Amino acid sequence: MSAGAAGPALVPAAVREEAVLTLTSLSRRFGKHVVVRDLDLRLEPGERVALWGPNGSGKSTVLRCVAGTLLPSEGTVQVCGFEAGSMEARALVGASLSQERSFDMRLTGRANLLFFARLRFGSERLAARRVQEVEEELALETIASERINRASSGMIQQVALARALLGDPALVLLDEPTRSLDAEARERLWQALERRTRTCVVMATHLDEDVKRCGRRVDFPT
Amino acid sequence: MAVASTFLPRARIPRLNRVLTLVRREYASRRTYRLAFLLDLLFGVANLLVYYFISRTLEVAADSNLGVPSYFAYVLVGIAITNVIGAASTGLAYRIREEQFTGTLEALMVQPVTLTELSAGLAGYPFLFSMGRAAIYILVGGTLLGIDFGTTDWVGFVVMLLVSALAFGALGIILGGVMLVVKRGEALVGLFTYALGILGGAFFPISTFPSWLEPIAKIVPTRFAFEGLRRAIFLGDHWARDALVLLVMSIVAFPFATYFFARAVEHTRRAGTLTHY
Repeated sequence: MSAGAAGPALVPAAVREEAVLTLTSLSRRFGKHVVVRDLDLRLEPGERVALWGPNGSGKSTVLRCVAGTLLPSEGTVQVCGFEAGSMEARALVGASLSQERSFDMRLTGRANLLFFARLRFGSERLAARRVQEVEEELALETIASERINRASSGMIQQVALARALLGDPALVLLDEPTRSLDAEARERLWQALERRTRTCVVMATHLDEDVKRCGRRVDFPT
Repeated sequence: MAVASTFLPRARIPRLNRVLTLVRREYASRRTYRLAFLLDLLFGVANLLVYYFISRTLEVAADSNLGVPSYFAYVLVGIAITNVIGAASTGLAYRIREEQFTGTLEALMVQPVTLTELSAGLAGYPFLFSMGRAAIYILVGGTLLGIDFGTTDWVGFVVMLLVSALAFGALGIILGGVMLVVKRGEALVGLFTYALGILGGAFFPISTFPSWLEPIAKIVPTRFAFEGLRRAIFLGDHWARDALVLLVMSIVAFPFATYFFARAVEHTRRAGTLTHY
């Protein structure tokens, strides 16, 4: 199955021609502590970038500013020309931020994925189809039938990736997505990302392999 | 830098399928706690029995102006409706608190759903559950505990329930915003709604209150809900004025409540506390 070609794209072609992500002089402070200072970044369709740096250097903060759950202290964040956090921008972004604490623990991975797919697509049939596609692509059939509170960190991380990829988003935000994955699962993740040739990826990581496969790196100093 | 209010309400009609999706997830999750689900209902019925025996043991005055035949009949409606009003006004706040604890709030906030859809969807399950519970109480009261619903205007009852839900739903959205910002707001929210129930006449007619408290009780919104519902049930008439008051309250309160909630979300995005609990 070609994930990149599955179903109608969410992003109109005209929108896809412009930069998918534009950060302009992005700064974020928490009180007096400046976590991100004057960050500029522009991603064209299909570009992948690794936000690379040690723990606490501001990588996740940037992801949250792009996802819209944090407001920049200064500067702007735009997704395909829409302000980050707006309805339009959220429809274009697939995010996997704090993977382990972002699901209903009493439900299976599949029930959680169907829930998020229904929120995204509205249509029951389309949601079920998208979930089935992403399950097949990431070989999640067994994992998805486990209740989340019985799944390991690595299993939950794979379900979180599946959620981020639902609906072929224009921009995928991943916070340390390979941290708990075994070698096979890591490879499936990379293949899924590489198959989506028009999808931008912003990945927070401190692993060299992730940086290499992203091809572009933004350094976050200590 | 100008920070635009991306979450502030826009003229978007809430999409029912998104709202129902949130309600369905909550139902699916709650269903996994089967015993708690049953115990919750049993506790409610046991609570009714306490008032039933109090009413049989003591001669407690009911409110004859509302056509209520006994104290038990009075309090049965009070308890049933307090549940519905309580769920409408606190359901969202408690659900937000749970989402903060489980960490799912951020995952919801990055989805393309509006705040109105999110609020209605999160509050939807507790509200529907409370409606079911109220129906069971009334059924038990009518079939097993001797309450006569022969004079009930059921249209009036449903209308009163809907306008009460709307009016207290607006309050619920405001309390949801409070919970989002102050986090540990359970005690405040609980106290507030308990006071609304007592002052509105859930358990005692407001005519029994001290003279200084009665004028305050008369303007509490819950009073209109309780009295209108009791009139619809026991008089079968004269509920329209109460319904109108609650409807006007809803029309005035909803835009403010939606705006307040959006500002609360904006505050958490600015402060970086959306994921905190």
